[in-house]
Amino acid sequence: MPEVAEPDFDVIVVGAGIAGCVTAYQLAQQGREVLLIERGEAPGSKNLSGGVLYSRGIQEVFPGFLDEAPVERRITRNCVTFLNATSSVGLDYQDARLADPVNAVTVLRARLDPWLAGKCEEAGVTVMPGVRVDRVLTEDGPAANAAGAAPWHANGTTGRRVVGVQAGDDELRARVVVAADGVNSFLARDAGLRPKDPLNHLAVGVKSVVSLPRETIEARFNLTGDEGTAIAVVGDCTEGVGGGGFLYTNTDSVSVGVVVRLDDLTAQQKVVTDIFDHFLAHRFIAPYLEGGELAEYGCHLVAEGGLKMIGEIVMDGMVVVGDAAGLTLNTGLTVRGMDLAVASAVAAAGGIGAALENKDTSKAGLTGYRERFFASYAGQDMKTYAKAPAFLEHERMYKQYGELFADVLYGAFSLDTRPRRHLLSVARRALAHSPLKMRHLVSDGIAGGRAL
Amino acid sequence: MKIVVAYKWTSDPEEATVGADGVVNWSRARPGISTYDPVAIEVARGLAAATSAELIGVTVGAKGVGTPLAAKAALSRGLDRAVIVEDDSLKGAGQAELAAVVAAVVRRIGDVDLVITGDSSVDVAAKMVPTVLAGELGWPAVAEVTDVTGQPGALRVGRAVPGGAQVLEISGPAVLATSADATTPHVPGMKDLLAAGKKPVEHVDLAALDVPASSAVMTITGRARPARKERKHQLLDTSDPAEAAAELVKALREVGAL
Repeated sequence: MPEVAEPDFDVIVVGAGIAGCVTAYQLAQQGREVLLIERGEAPGSKNLSGGVLYSRGIQEVFPGFLDEAPVERRITRNCVTFLNATSSVGLDYQDARLADPVNAVTVLRARLDPWLAGKCEEAGVTVMPGVRVDRVLTEDGPAANAAGAAPWHANGTTGRRVVGVQAGDDELRARVVVAADGVNSFLARDAGLRPKDPLNHLAVGVKSVVSLPRETIEARFNLTGDEGTAIAVVGDCTEGVGGGGFLYTNTDSVSVGVVVRLDDLTAQQKVVTDIFDHFLAHRFIAPYLEGGELAEYGCHLVAEGGLKMIGEIVMDGMVVVGDAAGLTLNTGLTVRGMDLAVASAVAAAGGIGAALENKDTSKAGLTGYRERFFASYAGQDMKTYAKAPAFLEHERMYKQYGELFADVLYGAFSLDTRPRRHLLSVARRALAHSPLKMRHLVSDGIAGGRAL
Repeated sequence: MKIVVAYKWTSDPEEATVGADGVVNWSRARPGISTYDPVAIEVARGLAAATSAELIGVTVGAKGVGTPLAAKAALSRGLDRAVIVEDDSLKGAGQAELAAVVAAVVRRIGDVDLVITGDSSVDVAAKMVPTVLAGELGWPAVAEVTDVTGQPGALRVGRAVPGGAQVLEISGPAVLATSADATTPHVPGMKDLLAAGKKPVEHVDLAALDVPASSAVMTITGRARPARKERKHQLLDTSDPAEAAAELVKALREVGAL
């Protein structure tokens, strides 16, 4: 049996986003030797999120998070808007209770990620930015190289075992590699953990950060102090393509973007940047941004398959966390990714810690990660909303409902000196003129109730 | 033999934005090693390896130039150790002032045979520091250096001059500024970065250094954009591409562009 070289680190984490940083931080806190490799010149330089972080999970990891971390605003106002070409119908929910305790904050990753990486360094993690990992190092499975008395992978499966990473000419070895390298995880694919995702599981997001004076933002979005607004938009904002738009307030800027499903985009032969420009120019959106200056512009792939996207997240010597594991959740009302990244990182740090403790980092030894994740609120939520992606794929959601709602309300608000009818009868007439049928309402109502 | 590389930790102006009011906003520009300094480190590394010299990185500046990240970024390029003066009183300091501090550090290190710098800094680009530094040390300064070989006391220095190249023999200590394209610096690998974390970094108090007062104060009192060239407003009819191409070539020849 070949001798296994003493690894350079207990754990190598690839990708200094939220999932990678939290995993590395917690493992270092356990006293493990951790290397955190980041492809960007600095953590955060390549990372992009819509911008709302549901923050309870990360507050448990960093108790001082809200005061120390560079968070922008605390979300106390959530709006969901059906946007049509010349009308819009919305739900506007503002609640002081959302500020105490704080439930969601807006963040800019260019600021948050360097802070997270700094916390990792404080905890003893070796942070290594500017390095692109080319591939994972693998060896023959457990039987071939059990290391002396230490049964590092005694209970493992057959096949390949991950033993480290390679970047350029350098190889570094670890007992566990954590793939936290984002939605297009090359590492997970390289190790054979994930097949290429079907298009309807992927969406593409385009986002701008528009600088505005903070007083302007507070006036336009009805805010005081560090309160913030999150607006989710469906309908004309994506020109009918499956997806949605968003506006999130930061301290002195607004994050604005669209996220559209790749399969629908391809089918309708539209270009995402055109859709984004259309959204920005919409008569009900443009006034929010007027006079602002473009500070950032970026595109990003988004995993939208929900539970279906999560395949194997554990193999011999490697686990996959965050976006790389397909962890995003669009429930229609909330779009979540960063909080799931935190939850998966906490579960991974726990599972890896136990595996290192038991000197078994085989797939079986690391399976505690999977168990911990599905026992967490995030794993539970992934199951709860398992049907949401399929429900949100209905094109009715993106066009006809918004127009129907607007027609009903037009009937109620437009007093044209003719005698009024009861709202129910207005609604019936609007429905009759809409391509939607009563059976759609009933079936979507039931499906929505179940999925969301 | 001791070789010092003076490098600068600063932000790239390309990442700064200029507001409508003319105010330059540096907040989104990330600091790093000034663009041409890795070339200087690479040239110095080659000489140090050939002569078994110790390679010492020196940088001076305001708070931030000596963070572990900044020091590691420099050390990972092949320096043996670093000596850093980090003091907020150097914020916005002029080139003469910074060069005087670097000179004081070189004197403090002692027995330095050679100082190598980059061509110019990415943020100021005045090409002043090498010459002022040499003046402070009483050494010759050579710019546009393309390669260095030999031994201390008998250095062979190649430099680019208009229309060609020269080879110099230098018998004593000197300050060399490498040309921007003297060599292609290698990208530090994981092992370089890990090794960098274990290399010694010495932080020196500005107050502990003997920096003589400058005999002259230099202040920037005016700035201007380059004068805009008058456009010719010459339009080519492209209905016949071949003819348009010929016309374009003719027009470019007339103005001496070809």
